[in-house]
Amino acid sequence: MTEVGGMMQFGPGATTAPVPPLVVEHVAKSYELDGGRTVPVIGDLSLTLGEGEIVSIVGPSGCGKTTLLNTLCGLLAPDAGRIRWHGREVAGQPQNVGYMLQKDLLLPWRTALGNTMLGLEIRGVPAAQAEDRCRAMLDQLGLHGFADHYPSTLSGGMRQRVALARTLVNEPDVLLLDEPFAALDFQSKLLIENDTVDLVRKGRRSLLLITHDLEEAVSLADRVIVLSKRPTQIKAVYDIALGADRRDVISVRQAPGFSDYVRSIWADLDVVLQ
Amino acid sequence: MTAEIDTTATPSAAKGPIDRAAGMGRRWLRLRGTLGVLVTQLVVLAAFLAFWEYATGQNKAAAFMFGSPSAISKFLSQMAYDGSLWRDTYVTGLETLLGFFVGNCIGTLIGLSLWYSRFVSRVVEPFVIALGSIPIIALAPIIIIWFGTGLISKVAMSTLSVVIVALVTSYKGATGVDPDQINLLRTLGASKFQIFRKLVVPASLTDIFAGLKLTVGFALIGAIVGEFMSSSEGLGHAIFKAGSLYIIPKVFAALVATIALALILTFAVGKIEQLLMPWRRQLR
Repeated sequence: MTEVGGMMQFGPGATTAPVPPLVVEHVAKSYELDGGRTVPVIGDLSLTLGEGEIVSIVGPSGCGKTTLLNTLCGLLAPDAGRIRWHGREVAGQPQNVGYMLQKDLLLPWRTALGNTMLGLEIRGVPAAQAEDRCRAMLDQLGLHGFADHYPSTLSGGMRQRVALARTLVNEPDVLLLDEPFAALDFQSKLLIENDTVDLVRKGRRSLLLITHDLEEAVSLADRVIVLSKRPTQIKAVYDIALGADRRDVISVRQAPGFSDYVRSIWADLDVVLQ
Repeated sequence: MTAEIDTTATPSAAKGPIDRAAGMGRRWLRLRGTLGVLVTQLVVLAAFLAFWEYATGQNKAAAFMFGSPSAISKFLSQMAYDGSLWRDTYVTGLETLLGFFVGNCIGTLIGLSLWYSRFVSRVVEPFVIALGSIPIIALAPIIIIWFGTGLISKVAMSTLSVVIVALVTSYKGATGVDPDQINLLRTLGASKFQIFRKLVVPASLTDIFAGLKLTVGFALIGAIVGEFMSSSEGLGHAIFKAGSLYIIPKVFAALVATIALALILTFAVGKIEQLLMPWRRQLR
């Protein structure tokens, strides 16, 4: 089950198939400790993220999920293997990729609107146009009336919505999210998950979601990839077929088969209770 | 989806009359708190002055050695009347402000720009520590030889007292920026200069202002030390002259003016901080 890129077609006829936005082939990454000892973090990892696809990655604690994400974004260079965005290897940061972490990373000196505008501002979009787009995005995420609030006056859920708006307003083809909702209470989490999935599916964007939360992984994704302990490899892949309307993460949790997926993934994780 | 958003949080404009009344109650409680502190401070000060006045009133020698609040205020009003108080305060204030401004500009500029290159900052580090450990007063004779006995030498002393502190605090601010925040800006496609301008500089403001508050006092010390070495006016000059003539109450009178100057400058820095960092005001 380790080869997930198997659906890629090479040779004649491959040109007709759309190029997936992200293909990872045999990526390996290790860290060097102060003593000169190297610790392999990612052993050998291959995966494909198709257009409009939502893929969740789960794995035991400390299995290098965040290293994987930073490698994909070009913040770290892999020791081996290839990462192709829309069929091309890029040096540095890939274009049109949105990145979001558990920490909202809002700049405290900027209002919700100012934070949302950050990406457009950096790319030199005219201020008036950027502001219109950002206000519309904040409205869409239920933050109408909060655009001029500083982050320190917003709740955790609202701050994470602002972070989501900051990511989505750049209209990324691919979103890389690293436990973005882990710090939120259950209700805020469900609501923001729902909005995220809705906007991602509507925009035909692709989403790679790293999470600890198995129910979140199953309810959001088309596919769940289970990673092994370090050095990380793919342990199992589940295609989630739940039939229900996949834009409603709350009703998906009630779908028959949902808890079976969660249970098998939990078994795969092989968590030893002390 | 907008209908499902948490209903607990409403924009502050929509607050009802009960909320507003509660807000006023809170404000009154807070005001009463600060008033209590202020009254206590005044009582402590008054008690101290009364004890000073009483103790020195009993004993001629003590009155000569320690002055007394009444003698100090007599000198203060006399100095105010003949204009020397205003003149000296103005001169020292100007030296302090110029030294404060120049020293902080140079120090902050260097401190922030050291963020740009890990290599340069590592090269510079021991030199900064060495320069920072020089007692500024030891430089005074050279400063007077280089810059003369006028305004410039005092501004130079004041600048030197400020510049290293400003450099260190701003560098600390710049390097203390959350690396995840830098990564975020990188993934948004920011250049190194954009990261510097949009993230590092504003993020360092808190540390820079902590440095500014600290260096108000240092700038004043530099100016006064400069005046001690050689001068014809200024509060340091007044203190030095009165001291050599054993007019202790006059020394204290000039000291009171120095303290007032320091308080005014510190207050002004605090006000500018509030103006430049409005997001911190909303925290309270």
